[in-house]
Order: sequence, then structure tokens, then C-alpha cells
Amino acid sequence: MPSGKSPDTGLRRQGTTVFTAVGALIGVVVIVQLWLVSASLDALLSGDMKVLVPAAIASLLLFFLNGGLLLHALAFDRRTRS
Amino acid sequence: MTMPHDPDTKAKAARWREDFPTEWEQDAYVARREFAKFLVLGSALLAGANGIIAAVGRRFRKRAPRLPRLRIAGASVLPPGGSLLFRYPTEEDPCILIRTVGGELKAYSQMCTHLSCAVVYRAPAGEFHCPCHDGRFSAGEGRPIAGPPTRRLPKILIEQEGSDIYAIGKEP
Repeated sequence: MPSGKSPDTGLRRQGTTVFTAVGALIGVVVIVQLWLVSASLDALLSGDMKVLVPAAIASLLLFFLNGGLLLHALAFDRRTRS
Repeated sequence: MTMPHDPDTKAKAARWREDFPTEWEQDAYVARREFAKFLVLGSALLAGANGIIAAVGRRFRKRAPRLPRLRIAGASVLPPGGSLLFRYPTEEDPCILIRTVGGELKAYSQMCTHLSCAVVYRAPAGEFHCPCHDGRFSAGEGRPIAGPPTRRLPKILIEQEGSDIYAIGKEP
């Protein structure tokens, strides 16, 4: 009797797990970026200019990390579809 | 029961498929994928916001005006534990000069960094106190040590020349 599930259900379930994990990691990094924006704005308003550039560089690096994680997950996605 | 040979039914099914292209069992997968993309877009926006803040900060730093040198009258006779109010660099900027119990001279902006109330010096505790919301700052560095303020008091740079005390600049 057919189960009604497509043959790639297992792979798709793995994909769901991958995207859940990647989403959680990216979410944590985005929260750190939010904190960086808040701290930078606070430093700007208090005139403490020397922390602004390092904070912007750190935020950019975190964005690259997020992009890398997403690309990794999308590569898995392509494997799932093909 | 639908009739597969009916062209009208087929057309309706095709339109339905356009509106709902995702199979039910794929739904969670697609939703997570799109959510991850959305988060990375948010991450890019936050990185951009940080870049804008840094650019604005650099622009402000270049335009910082040179502050005047101002003699603080009566500062030389300030006793240990005493404080003196003055205004620097403009008449709109209240400041406070203190001589700590140890004899060291320090000057800060008198405006609390929380909501701009005037702080007062408490020599025995070695701190500034803001009566509005019970904020406290250390007298040594002007750092917030209690209450709602999170930023330190701006420091006024002073210089002693003979018996005269001059305000020469302001640290943020």
C-alpha cells in the first residue's frame, strides 16, 4: 500500500532540520548585530567616536558569516531539488 | 467528483496551483528557507545601519570645534571636598569643578547623562549624585555607578597655571 509520501521526504526532512539550525544561528547573530547598532548609536550620541568603526567592521563580518551560512544551506537546498 | 477531461476544471486547477504552489508537506521546509533569507536580509540592513552610524561619527569628529581657554574664577581657593560651578564652553553648558578629598582637581559637565538634571558632588562618598532619579557617578572618572544613567559624565579638561585654573577642552 502506498504511503502517500514522495521518495525524497527523508532528504527534505533533513533540509528542514538544516534550515531550522541555520535559521537559529543566523537569528543569534542578528541579535548580536542589533546590540551592535544599539551600542553604536549610544556611543555616537555620547560622542565616543572611536568604537564606531570597529563596531561597523564587526557587524559587516557577522553579515558575511550569515551570508556564508545561508549559502551553505542553499547549496543543500539545491541538492534536495536535483 | 471532478472530471479530468473538463477544460474549465483544468483551468481552475491551474489558477489554484498558481496561488498555492507549495505542497503541504513542503510547507515547513519552504517557510524555514524563506525565513533564513529574510534574516540575512535583516542582517545586511543592520550592517548597513552600523556603517551609516560610523560614517556619521567620522563626519562629526572632523567638524568638532576648537574650544576656548577659559579661566575658572575662584578655583584656586577651593578646599578639599569642595565644588565650584562654572559654565563651559558656552553659557548654556553648566559644569562642576571639584577638589577631591585627596586634593585632586577634576571637572565634569554638570548635566546628568540620563535626563540632563544637575548633579551634585558628595565628597564623603566620592561620587556625584543626581537627585532626579537617584543616579550616581564616580568622582574619579565620572563613570555611572548606580541608577538609570549608562553613559559617563563628559569630562572638562583643565590646566593649572600658577594659581589659576583654566578649562581648555571637553572630552565626550
